Amino acid sequence: MATLEIEGKIFEVDGDGFLSDPTIWNKEVAQLIAKHDGIQEMSEKHWAIVNIIRKNFEEKGMAPMVRVICQQTGVKLREIYELFPLGPARGACRVAGLPKPDGCV
Amino acid sequence: MGSLNKETIQKGLDVFQNPADSKLITHLNSCVHCGLCAESCIYYLATKDDRFIPARKVDLVASVYKRYCTHIGKVFPSIVNARKLNEETTEEMVDLLFGACTMCGRCTAHCSIGVDISFIVKTGRTMLSNMGMVPATLQSTVNAALTSGNNMSIPTEEFVDTVKWMEEELIDEINNPNALIPLNEPDKRVLYTLNPREPKFFPLSISAMAKIFFAAKESWTLSTAMYDVTNYAFFSGNNTEAARIADRLWKEMEHLRAQTLVLAECGHGSRAFRWEAPNFLKKPFPFKVETSVELIAAYIREKKIRLDPQKIKEKVTLHDPCNLVRNGGILLEQRVILNHFIGDFVEMTPHGIDNYCCGGGGGQLAMSEYNERRMKIAEIKAEQIRKTGANIVVTPCHNCVDQLSQINIHFNLGVQIKTLAEVVADALILD
Repeated sequence: MATLEIEGKIFEVDGDGFLSDPTIWNKEVAQLIAKHDGIQEMSEKHWAIVNIIRKNFEEKGMAPMVRVICQQTGVKLREIYELFPLGPARGACRVAGLPKPDGCV
Repeated sequence: MGSLNKETIQKGLDVFQNPADSKLITHLNSCVHCGLCAESCIYYLATKDDRFIPARKVDLVASVYKRYCTHIGKVFPSIVNARKLNEETTEEMVDLLFGACTMCGRCTAHCSIGVDISFIVKTGRTMLSNMGMVPATLQSTVNAALTSGNNMSIPTEEFVDTVKWMEEELIDEINNPNALIPLNEPDKRVLYTLNPREPKFFPLSISAMAKIFFAAKESWTLSTAMYDVTNYAFFSGNNTEAARIADRLWKEMEHLRAQTLVLAECGHGSRAFRWEAPNFLKKPFPFKVETSVELIAAYIREKKIRLDPQKIKEKVTLHDPCNLVRNGGILLEQRVILNHFIGDFVEMTPHGIDNYCCGGGGGQLAMSEYNERRMKIAEIKAEQIRKTGANIVVTPCHNCVDQLSQINIHFNLGVQIKTLAEVVADALILD
């Protein structure tokens, strides 16, 4: 099991840095992972995106389509890629504490 | 180290029984250990770890063959380096054949006597697959495709909503209500496919391709029942599952009666369907199959689309996806397209059939356990990109896009990574 250390806190993660146990996720964890990815401050838009992803995961067990993220947060598609430079999967889903999605991501 | 049960071992050894022709046995017995393959492998180049030399991977599979299928290997195993198929051997096979090979085929192209090293690695993967030892992360992507019809388990309704959304965006962008994305329409000239990561997370390439089809006045459709161009069973080595996935796309072509199946910008998906589907399914194609790269090049050649040479002024370079280029024969078309409208186009060194893999092929992106190694070997691609001085890296493969995007951040390259359809769509001149 790999671990990820951010600011003295240690998390168990998969090889790609996604939390091994999504239930340990909280806002503080999100901020730490975001910081690790170079997002110094989580803006209101960052939080809106992360919260939608988290809600979808808790209700349906998977990440939402990026369409759902855009339509429920009002954030434009191209802006999502700017807010999370690693993209909706490796960026936003990781900050939201989800397991890594399957496929070419 | 413990031993495996007889039944499991036999399943692994089945790959050596009754091969279709002499290729496997010939190639298992041919390596002369000249070492030329070492310098062709990104794993070896980036780490200088001898274990990663392609010939060593061939030896690993050959050692098991010798132990069970040759007289001398059965009687004096140590003399010919013949190895038992036990836990120790399979652990090494998983680590080297799944975890340290992108199946890019660069070693095969460089082999002094023409050993098809990728084919031996693939055979080793098939052995492991027969024994139920495919890394769970990779198998999970195959399972998603088998059970849901696409490798990200996207429900049909959500897929349709995304396509409709992209259609609205396109209509708004070009201010033309006729720029539609047709779904499930029979008797069209083209059935187009997608990589599920497009509808799930990166749908701009869907509207980009739709814009190109609109400009070319193409007769086309997408299918909601089967649009997934990927086939991860090609990487897991499970030919039965690969055949099932290929068969679904084949049947959907027949169902919608399109003339040409156009494969999206997906290296392995193109290779697995175009070059392997007739082998998996043991029948010739009754319809035409081509990649979107060839189709866009044809639109330019036939003057069906026009591109603005002033639109993209930045320096652009091209990453050649191994499965499309070295293993797929699509070498010139992407260059015809880019040279047609990019003023400042620069090649990487090396490029074309000698290009280095991005490091994400062979299912590596799906296998989290090898992420650290994957980023280590990516140094080579990062350096290649940096040396071009380009601002935009174009690559006709969604899997490469994802690996290159990660490289971009990891090595702080500050470039943009785009598919071919995206740059072409940006420069389209609409009537």
